[in-house]
Amino acid sequence: MARYFRELSVAGALALVLLGLAVFAPAFYQPQPLLSLVTREAPTLIVACGMALVIISRQIDISVGSQFSVIGVCAGLLAAKGWPLGLVLLASVSLGGVLGALNGILIAGLGLPSIVVTLATLVTLRQGLNLVRQGEFVNLPDGLQWFGLSQSGGQWTLVIAALVILVLLGWGMRHVSAGRLVYAVGSDAEAARLAGIRPQLCTFLVFVFMGALTGLAAMMNLVQSPQVQPLSGSGLELKVIAAVVVGGVAISGGRGTLWGVFAGLLLLACIAPALIHLRIEAYWEKAIQGGIILLAVVADGVRSRREGAGK
Amino acid sequence: MNPSVTNPNRPKRDWKALLLRHETLLLLVLIAEWIFFYYAGTSTNRRGVVVGFGTIDRQFDILRHSCEIGLLALALTPVIITAGIDLSVASLLGLCAILFGKFWHDAGLPIPVAIAFTLVIGGLAGALNGTLITKLRLPPLIVTLGTYSLFRGLAEAITRGAITYTDFPASFLFIGQERWLGVPTQAWIFVVVAIAIGLLVHRTTYGRSFRAIGFSPEGARYAGLPVERRVALVYVIAGVVAAIAAIIYTARLGQAKADAGLGYELFAITAVVLGGTSIFGGTGSVFGTLLGVAAIAVLKNGLATLPIVMRMNAAEEMAGLLTGALLLLALTGSVLPRLWSRWRSRHPATATPELKPKSTA
Repeated sequence: MARYFRELSVAGALALVLLGLAVFAPAFYQPQPLLSLVTREAPTLIVACGMALVIISRQIDISVGSQFSVIGVCAGLLAAKGWPLGLVLLASVSLGGVLGALNGILIAGLGLPSIVVTLATLVTLRQGLNLVRQGEFVNLPDGLQWFGLSQSGGQWTLVIAALVILVLLGWGMRHVSAGRLVYAVGSDAEAARLAGIRPQLCTFLVFVFMGALTGLAAMMNLVQSPQVQPLSGSGLELKVIAAVVVGGVAISGGRGTLWGVFAGLLLLACIAPALIHLRIEAYWEKAIQGGIILLAVVADGVRSRREGAGK
Repeated sequence: MNPSVTNPNRPKRDWKALLLRHETLLLLVLIAEWIFFYYAGTSTNRRGVVVGFGTIDRQFDILRHSCEIGLLALALTPVIITAGIDLSVASLLGLCAILFGKFWHDAGLPIPVAIAFTLVIGGLAGALNGTLITKLRLPPLIVTLGTYSLFRGLAEAITRGAITYTDFPASFLFIGQERWLGVPTQAWIFVVVAIAIGLLVHRTTYGRSFRAIGFSPEGARYAGLPVERRVALVYVIAGVVAAIAAIIYTARLGQAKADAGLGYELFAITAVVLGGTSIFGGTGSVFGTLLGVAAIAVLKNGLATLPIVMRMNAAEEMAGLLTGALLLLALTGSVLPRLWSRWRSRHPATATPELKPKSTA
């Protein structure tokens, strides 16, 4: 119980928000809008899972938003050329892996700080995309939206796929040795090296995996609409990092679970609809998100200070 | 204070030579850029008037447009020297611009008082960052990520995403749109701030303590430095300078709006890192930052004067792309010597005896 205190407190906050909505704005619980809300967040959840791994391994990746946009546009162009869905999916996951590997080489191979490297790739990828595409939308062929299923069928497919990936990763981080390695490298890279782990290889693979998950998420976003927006992923990185931090993953690495990230993401995702249903102006969304991030890190800081004093 | 505090491991001469080399290199890049655009970006139009990069008006334009990003980069230099980071400066610029507009327009305060209040707000916002970072020992990256969202969000909430304050008096717009002694007014302010921060970082014990803290906070503490107060000070300065940038931004555009300076933090951090300040902290120079700002500004404005780029209408994107690539190159270049010496110490057989590194562990 005590071990999951942080995750439980986020889940508690989420429960409070949901309860408040049930009392003051029952309209929030209409099934179709709710399903649409959850579907919109499904790609974000996948990216947040990858980001949790990156942050647990004591790195950060702020280029995911640009990666997401680039992959989305490339996948859209391939689909428009008539590639079958499976191949497009494979291509976008591989492209994500390649983009992640680029970050990984610079960070793990050259030992550069991840914040600056991914800042540079964020700018380079975004401006490169703008330069080549000039903000043009990509029109997708018919039959691609919702995999050719009905809307609710497609939405359920996406939500279930995202949850399956979450559960697999969440279980794997605890019970598969590769998952434990990420924690080991994140809590103390030198100790991990002395224990026979190769921290640089681990970091590199985490970035490749992050990229691949971003590619998958871009696909999950692609099938939701008949067009691909050129900047579908701008601002995604902050949303995802916020969810990960609120969910209790320590930014100093080595601590946190995907369950907490899941709760954190849902909590942040509920803000905008909650504001609308509670008739508060939607312009407050960003400020409230920032406030929640600060609240979460302050809570972590106070707690770790108290634990440090108790020792 | 003992000069060896800054860098006990490496001999001082080496470090200085490296710094010199980096800045010299950047200066050469800047001159090359300038000469290239002078010849490629200047032309004569149908009426026989010289237009484009080579005109004095265009040069002043570059100066005008780089003041705000330049101020943010100056604000970030001491922060990054202490091994910190401040992602919130551009959001704070937006919030300060809005509050300044509100002080003047809604509260009816005279312009100088409104400016003073805005600077105080900037300092308080910086103090919020500094307090969270030093008192609770939270990582600067995540604290300023939170305030990045918070400050911009407050600006949006105050204006409800719609209100823009305009109709400022001409005496105020003078700061951003006119010239004083033949040079754009805001350039004077920029120079004053640059000299102040340059003196602080390079000519006072404060600057020396910033480097010591960035190099090793524990070591600085054992040396008796008030680490927490110094770190907090750096963020307060960053907040005040961001507020100055907000005033200049408002005066240049003649309007205060919530999305003022959106995305400027990326260019400011790029300029600082390009200028040779180590993102790991401990070393850095204000002069390098100024060169970095100039290199980016000349690139961005110069590209816009090239005929081919004008036809494509893609100056902004191309400048961003090149800036990102330049940053990646500079980063890679900055670690190559270290990697090389590490490789040499691992493979001593291949190293020639007289070049063996003197215990660089």
